[in-house]
Amino acid sequence: MKKRLFALALSGAMLIGLLAGCGGGGTSGTPAPGTAAPETGAPETTAPAADGSVYYLNFKPEQDEQWQALAEAYTAETGVPVTVVTAASGQYETQLMAEMGKSEAPTLFQVNGPVGLANWKDYCYDLSGSALYGELTSDDFALKDADAVYGIAYVIETYGIIVNKALLEQAGHSMDEITDFAALKAVAEDITARKDELGFSAFTSAGMDGSSDWRFKTHLANLPIYYEYEAEGVHADAINGTYLDNYRAIWDLYINNATCAPAELSAKTGDDAVAEFVNGQAVFYQNGTWAYGDVSSLGDENLDMLPIYIGVDGEENQGLCTGSENYWCVNSQADPADIQATLDFLYWVVTSETGTTSLADDMGFVCPFRSAKPSTNYLVGIADQYIAAGKKSVDWCFPTMPSEEWKNGVGSALTAYAADQTDANWDGVVSAFVDGWATEYQLSQG
Amino acid sequence: MKSKRRSFANSPFWTALMTVVCVIYLYPIFMVFMNSLKVETAITTSGAFTLPTADTFAGLSNYANAIGAKGFLVSFGYTAFITVSSVVLILICCSMCAWYITRVNSAASKVMYYLCVFSMVVPFQMVMFTLSSLADKLRLNTPWNICIIYLGFGAGLAVFMFTGFMKTIPVEIEEAAMIDGCNPIQTYFKVVFPILRPTMVSVGILEAMWVWNDYLLPTLVLDIKKYRTISMLIQYFRGSYGRVEMGPMMACIMLTIFPIVVVYLLGQKHIIKGVVAGAVKG
Amino acid sequence: MEKALKRYFPIFVLPTLAAFIIGFLIPFVQGLYLSFCRFTTVGNAQVVGIGNYLKAFADSTFTYSFWFTVLFAAVSTVVINVLAFLVALLLTRAIKGTNVFRTIFFMPNLIGGIVLGYIWQILINCVLSLAGKPLLALNTAAGYWGLIILMAWQQIGYMMIIYIAGLQSVPGDLLEAAQIDGATSWQTLWKIKIPMVMSSITICVFLTLTNSFKLFDQNLALTKGEPSHTTEMLAYNIYNTFYARSGPQWKGIGQAKAVIFFVLVVAIGLIQLRATRSREVQQ
Repeated sequence: MKKRLFALALSGAMLIGLLAGCGGGGTSGTPAPGTAAPETGAPETTAPAADGSVYYLNFKPEQDEQWQALAEAYTAETGVPVTVVTAASGQYETQLMAEMGKSEAPTLFQVNGPVGLANWKDYCYDLSGSALYGELTSDDFALKDADAVYGIAYVIETYGIIVNKALLEQAGHSMDEITDFAALKAVAEDITARKDELGFSAFTSAGMDGSSDWRFKTHLANLPIYYEYEAEGVHADAINGTYLDNYRAIWDLYINNATCAPAELSAKTGDDAVAEFVNGQAVFYQNGTWAYGDVSSLGDENLDMLPIYIGVDGEENQGLCTGSENYWCVNSQADPADIQATLDFLYWVVTSETGTTSLADDMGFVCPFRSAKPSTNYLVGIADQYIAAGKKSVDWCFPTMPSEEWKNGVGSALTAYAADQTDANWDGVVSAFVDGWATEYQLSQG
Repeated sequence: MKSKRRSFANSPFWTALMTVVCVIYLYPIFMVFMNSLKVETAITTSGAFTLPTADTFAGLSNYANAIGAKGFLVSFGYTAFITVSSVVLILICCSMCAWYITRVNSAASKVMYYLCVFSMVVPFQMVMFTLSSLADKLRLNTPWNICIIYLGFGAGLAVFMFTGFMKTIPVEIEEAAMIDGCNPIQTYFKVVFPILRPTMVSVGILEAMWVWNDYLLPTLVLDIKKYRTISMLIQYFRGSYGRVEMGPMMACIMLTIFPIVVVYLLGQKHIIKGVVAGAVKG
Repeated sequence: MEKALKRYFPIFVLPTLAAFIIGFLIPFVQGLYLSFCRFTTVGNAQVVGIGNYLKAFADSTFTYSFWFTVLFAAVSTVVINVLAFLVALLLTRAIKGTNVFRTIFFMPNLIGGIVLGYIWQILINCVLSLAGKPLLALNTAAGYWGLIILMAWQQIGYMMIIYIAGLQSVPGDLLEAAQIDGATSWQTLWKIKIPMVMSSITICVFLTLTNSFKLFDQNLALTKGEPSHTTEMLAYNIYNTFYARSGPQWKGIGQAKAVIFFVLVVAIGLIQLRATRSREVQQ
């Protein structure tokens, strides 16, 4: 009982630290007393440590080459060896787990938010005194626990519905008329009705294999969670599913107005969806700023983005979904010289000309650092326009999702439902969503 | 009647049937080969069976890419080195150990023998975590010394097979050599070693097949920052780089299979014999 | 001689023994111990008793993967052995080209599990997409049968070689005597050939069964356990428990699962050996 109370108290402390956005702290895992004490002590100097080295286990496969180049540039400049290893996609946790057990463990790794942090807190160096933290533009982008800063977001990403404007206009509609779910539905269904005449469909196929299913089981599922948190406050221990009917409505819209029959979705992949969108077979494609490289061949003038409306009151003011699930953490159990080398390297990445150019131009990142350059990513520009127009961005709540297991459960249920859209199958989704959440949350508390 | 059935049993019909079956049997490899010659955009999920056309033919560019940019040759070198060093080490150390076990009748020998037999049935998952952390602590995490791990984990089968064979060799020859003034080391290399040659080939082939194709042990033990074996490289292909680069991957698969097929065709007789010997004893 | 040899213990045995201790004995004993602990590294283990075992049995993915593995092992053992035996029967007849066929059938055996897995993933996904069926990542049934086809493709050649060796050792005069007595080829097969190659059958069944139970690489490469763990076999489930689940409790559970798995593999081997040995013909 005592332990329980302690956990509660600690969760509370975390909540306070994490109230920014809806990255709820209720999932603090099993806080091990004592081990959570922030480590301070390594002196902060800006001069590169002479004998340290950096080992970065990178999460984003699409930016592997750029990181390798950046590492090389840094080594050439300072002589500090930097190794970047990119985990195979979908294998990050596996690889991190295996590597952390080794004596030459990564000095720099990533967590995806509070849930990830709970598992790795013992390995997270307190960055609160670091020069890197000083560069951060807002505390919203720090992953905090009480006063300690355990993770720093390095890229802000935005997703929504990417639109092929040319096709939309060809169908006789415009961006301006779509301001809520009802309008989106009307446009989509109109396009579907005239599918043969127009020669294209409303949505790309919502492929449910591993290369694409996260768009729905994670990113789309974010919206009902976001609105529930908005209405009732962040409560990551259990979800009520208040907005699951809206989730069903948008999912129905996606799958019934797509380039293929709903039952065929399970045979589609992420690559198929990209191909359909780029080849002008569909108007709408749910994805984010990171997908710019895939869709840029359509030409910037033909691209736009829409918020994902799900039919909630007041959604005319809803913006795109913006957030981060990429937090840098420095391995506190690494050699002090390596920790210092890693901090120096990161500071260099976010402040130097070479580093900021690479982040903005080569990787197309929007970074929350003072010296960050504007991203050349066109979709990022669209996202900025939404914010400038006073729309309220939807926070990324999926870092509070209890586990990968939960996402997979929802994904399977969605696939089953797509194949046969009955109420019974939807109950399966609801059960995976609500009951699965409770179960997985319990398990994660171990 | 009987002679008729006989002739049917040996008729060209069966040869024809088996030919068809064999062609089907080889088709998967042929399919990968065809796809490895296509340009990236032509390798699609549903188009795996179509042959490359003039438009989609990529020549050997995928192979060039795999060898050049993807580090195939380096991985190939590591894998080859690990395989050769491990197999040589296993053959020498285990055969010596087996000789001692068969010829010295002590409790230690018995314990050692039964431990070896026991280790053969233990699945790798049982020791996967502890072995990799021990290997890391002892710095046995490079291609140059991972053979020690392979010797340890592969000793069971090798010692078992060698002792099985050794029991059938008459001890008299060795004793004669000893009486002529050879010390045990000389006796071993001059007398026992040559007799063991056929078993060496069998054990060598079995262990080589295991080490060459092994995935999990090198993945967990090797320092992935620097070294990747072929199996690891192909696995990395699949998962990394956001979208899978199918062309170079298919080329890699072909490049992996090719040397195996060549070695197999050259040493077919020994390989098949070795496998039978290993299986019958195992 | 024994005495002289004994003095050479450090040269003859020590290298192997040392490697064996590092590569097997210490990890094995540590593994046993850690299955009763909560740990994230070998160094920070705290004994928690049998809790890990209870949690392992309570983990539905583990029990599921157990039954999946049993079902897989049963079917693949039958399929592989029946087909391998048939091919061996055909190839022991005096038909043309037996050597070439033998070479071809054996070849897939030399290819590593990861590579095999990917080859078949491409092939099966192509068939599925042409048929308009869900791809492997979403299709438990296809994943199951895919694994069986893959295993059959890989192992038939190996088992065939063993059966051929067995069939060739059946004495010719025995077959001739049967023919003179008017036995049909069907009767010869059941009454003479099969009982005479019973030891080969024992070996092959034993090998396929343990291979199926220990299957890992192919499972990882072909299906990755998808969709949502429904094609996950025991070895892969254990691996995932260790390395894919985060949280300090999972390593201990994974190690407990590994011990259970180990006991299972040993038990199956023993039972199976005893069962078939008893039906062998005394030669």
